[in-house]
Amino acid sequence: MTIKVLSGDHAVAYAVKLCRADVIPAYPITPQTLIIEKISDFVNDGEMDATFMPADSEHSAMSMAIGAEATGVRTFTATASQGLALMHEMLYVAPQTRLPIVMANVNRSLGAGSGIWAEYNDSMPERESGWMQAYVEDSQEALDTIIQAYRICEDPRVMLPMMVCLDAFVLSHTVEKVLVPEQAEVDSFLPRFRPLNVLDPADPKFINIAVSPAHSMEMRYQLDHQMRQAAPMINLIDEEFGKHFGRRYGGMIERYRMSDAEHALITLGSATSTARVAVDQLRAQGRKVGLIKLRYMRPFPHQEIQEAVKGVKALGVFDRSIALNGFGPVFTEVRNSVYRQGMPVTNHIAGIGGRDLTIPTFVQMFDKIEQSANALERECYWHGLRGEM
Amino acid sequence: MSGKPMTIKSMPQDDQLISGHGACGGCGLSTAVNNVLRILGPNTVVYAPASCFLVFSAMYPTSALKVPFIYSAFENTGAVISGISAGFRKQGKDVTVVGIAGDGGTFDIGLQAVSGAAERNDDVIYVCVDNEAYMNTGTQRSGSTPFGAWTTTTPVGKKVQGKREHKKDMMSVITAQDVPYAATLSIAHPNDFVRKVEKAKAIEGFRFLHIMTPCTSGWKTEPSITYELARLAVETGMWTLYEVENGEKKITYRPKEMMPVENYLKLQGRFKHMSKADIEELQKWLCKRWNRHYNPNMVNGEGQEQKELAYAGEESEGL
Amino acid sequence: MAAQTIAEAAIYEGLEAQAFPFFGAERRGAPVMAFCRIDDKKISVRTQVYQPDMLVVMDESLLDIEPVADGLKPNGSAVVNTKLSPDKVDLGIRVKCVSVDATTVALEMLKAPIVNTAILGAMAKANDIVTLESIKKAIASRFGEHLGEEAGRINAAAAQAAYDRAVLGESAAQRPIVKKRAWTPTWQDIPPGVALGQADMNGLKVGPGSAFQVRTGTWRTRTPRYLREKCVRCAKCWFICPDAAISRESDDHIQIDYDHCKGCGVCASICPAKAIEMAKGAKL
Repeated sequence: MTIKVLSGDHAVAYAVKLCRADVIPAYPITPQTLIIEKISDFVNDGEMDATFMPADSEHSAMSMAIGAEATGVRTFTATASQGLALMHEMLYVAPQTRLPIVMANVNRSLGAGSGIWAEYNDSMPERESGWMQAYVEDSQEALDTIIQAYRICEDPRVMLPMMVCLDAFVLSHTVEKVLVPEQAEVDSFLPRFRPLNVLDPADPKFINIAVSPAHSMEMRYQLDHQMRQAAPMINLIDEEFGKHFGRRYGGMIERYRMSDAEHALITLGSATSTARVAVDQLRAQGRKVGLIKLRYMRPFPHQEIQEAVKGVKALGVFDRSIALNGFGPVFTEVRNSVYRQGMPVTNHIAGIGGRDLTIPTFVQMFDKIEQSANALERECYWHGLRGEM
Repeated sequence: MSGKPMTIKSMPQDDQLISGHGACGGCGLSTAVNNVLRILGPNTVVYAPASCFLVFSAMYPTSALKVPFIYSAFENTGAVISGISAGFRKQGKDVTVVGIAGDGGTFDIGLQAVSGAAERNDDVIYVCVDNEAYMNTGTQRSGSTPFGAWTTTTPVGKKVQGKREHKKDMMSVITAQDVPYAATLSIAHPNDFVRKVEKAKAIEGFRFLHIMTPCTSGWKTEPSITYELARLAVETGMWTLYEVENGEKKITYRPKEMMPVENYLKLQGRFKHMSKADIEELQKWLCKRWNRHYNPNMVNGEGQEQKELAYAGEESEGL
Repeated sequence: MAAQTIAEAAIYEGLEAQAFPFFGAERRGAPVMAFCRIDDKKISVRTQVYQPDMLVVMDESLLDIEPVADGLKPNGSAVVNTKLSPDKVDLGIRVKCVSVDATTVALEMLKAPIVNTAILGAMAKANDIVTLESIKKAIASRFGEHLGEEAGRINAAAAQAAYDRAVLGESAAQRPIVKKRAWTPTWQDIPPGVALGQADMNGLKVGPGSAFQVRTGTWRTRTPRYLREKCVRCAKCWFICPDAAISRESDDHIQIDYDHCKGCGVCASICPAKAIEMAKGAKL
């Protein structure tokens, strides 16, 4: 193990190298470029035995990853925002053909205004694509989650692709201390890739041809089943990761000061770090608040959340994107999970377009959550918004 | 390459695209694909984008292809075959990787991906089977559709009749990228066809095979004249046979004289509405291209002069 | 187009109707299905038709390769394009049956074996829901719109001629109606990844190469005859055959696989020695 000072993007690049990815097709986009630049350095310096493929677009990058993965090699690609949107069509192919590609997505707001800052409206719409989605809190977790991701994705009981999401700039370009494992440590944790279906002239198969209604429904249900089955595997592999590397993340979710919490907030991504500080401050004042860090949006930790919020009087959900005239996607999922448990659930939208998330923002969220336990004023708050809601 | 070039008599006879596929009777595309794959042999992996080829050769759970096959989308043939090739090469495996895309999937929506693969000089064979429209979706205009042709999106209306633009020169787009090998093929010239596929198979890097494939449903023709159409296309200059190897262009078949395009047009329902003026326009364009192709050293003239260089046929009377 | 036309005719009768194709990839020459549903009130059902009141068979060769009468109601009726009389038409079920040689009608009047308008005329003889007059009006409208007024008129005349020549009777029920073999695995059993290797599933071959079991020879309306003594053994027919239905003997004489030959005739057109000639009909 070596201590390095790395940005989130570079931590991802180190992880990909340690995971011995074979083929890496990618296309540059801010704020992801640091990842593929670093990987290009590794490859050109001979430190990494991989083929880096300069794609002509993100659509092509994902197409190349699908082609390469179908020959039985380990692939990686990275993108962000518009790049992910351009991949959209191809994203659906990888899970359905059960190609366990790992991708880093640096969350960046999508749409007019060309914002390059953190928001989740790029990756959230891809929840239905069949990709697993992890959201990480810091550079260390970025590195560790990539390593976990290959283990999870390539497990014969899962065989699905995963996008590991990290926040633009707050993580991608922020340097911090990262413990980089030795190659041998990773090798002993991550076995060689054993593909499910490969293109092999010695044993010809077709992979993905036209399917009529007579077969596609069973295929889709199988995929749904597979995604549900992935949740316990994520918990198991995180545990095993802990045994190998001496640190773990709780699997699907992490509970922070939840044992006796009456008012809880669910967060994801880098926001969790700042929210922890807010919880500590409020706890110091004697307020019974707690935090649940959501690590995965797909598979969604329905059971884990239901367990974690037992005894909670009011629950709040942080969202860094919004389905217009609706709620944030995390809120929608969480409320679906806990609706039988009866506590008020409120949605707290903040950090849109990369607006900075401060400690007072989270304190304000807890104020509203506490208030909702007595009287539900409204279901959805925007925090840090100028002008009356 | 050593020894005599391959001919239809000496080429491999094992089918990789076998009987039982669902292509229309008289489909030029299946002839082309069948023979390409016979020559490439069993150590081949095939990618097809959305296309007639995909639909007629493989409908779950059956398939008419014996070699491994993968599909994913429409616009990404160049990219997926690059990925497949990279995967095999990384493992040290010598497998021929071929992408077989239509004209729409190459000229239009797939242009970026094919150009990317050519620029990276990825070790793949890209086959464009060109039937001059989006046939799989029911004959819509593509960048390959010739001037004047009826398609469902260039209908014969009261005001406008057929396509108003000429066919894109896809070969020039590809050869401008200095690829190791690019060639045009015709199913009416079997030995030329076979030799070019054999040559492409032996070369390393990006190879492009552009095959004209008459389409009985989209061209509104009798299934039995598929061969005749492919032959006339070459005789009239609607198709030319050549290869470009490392930047050097070589004409591989030269018609004795240019046949008026009308002989080709009149066999096809898609052209039957064409006015005398439109045929003349197409003929002029063809003459210009004919001269540029077969007589590149002649002085470039205009209009009638151009035509005289090319052929001394009868004036068109319309169809 | 025929289903759409009969729907339009029903609407002229003041009825409600819908017409729709079997949603799937269609190829020229391949067997296809289309449905028409007629009612006297607004039709809400949008499912496919599984138990029709009336069956129309445009190509009698289908009777030998598809269980076309599967699901036909016992009190239903059938219209079949055939030279045979109704009692010789073996549907596998005894029902009211109208037989008509629509191919001959079409060849006489339209100069092409396109039977979809002529057969509509025969349909008028098999039912009392849609009259011949409405059918002719619908043909003139639909075909006229696409192909011009004259074409509409000729096609309507073809329907009249078919009506006049159609023979009403009862079909034979000799053959068993055997449902097509299909592999319909559960979600647990379907192989993962939309992928398949060569295998045998319920007697149905699947995976690469499995299409060989599809007998595309049934599409044929013309049949190549090989004149061995004229053959110059150039192998051009083998090269050009779009269906790999020609194989080469060791000395390059050829054999034709009639199970798969679609009868396109490209082999005959490329043959420099006229050693292949195309004969009318599905068999030699």
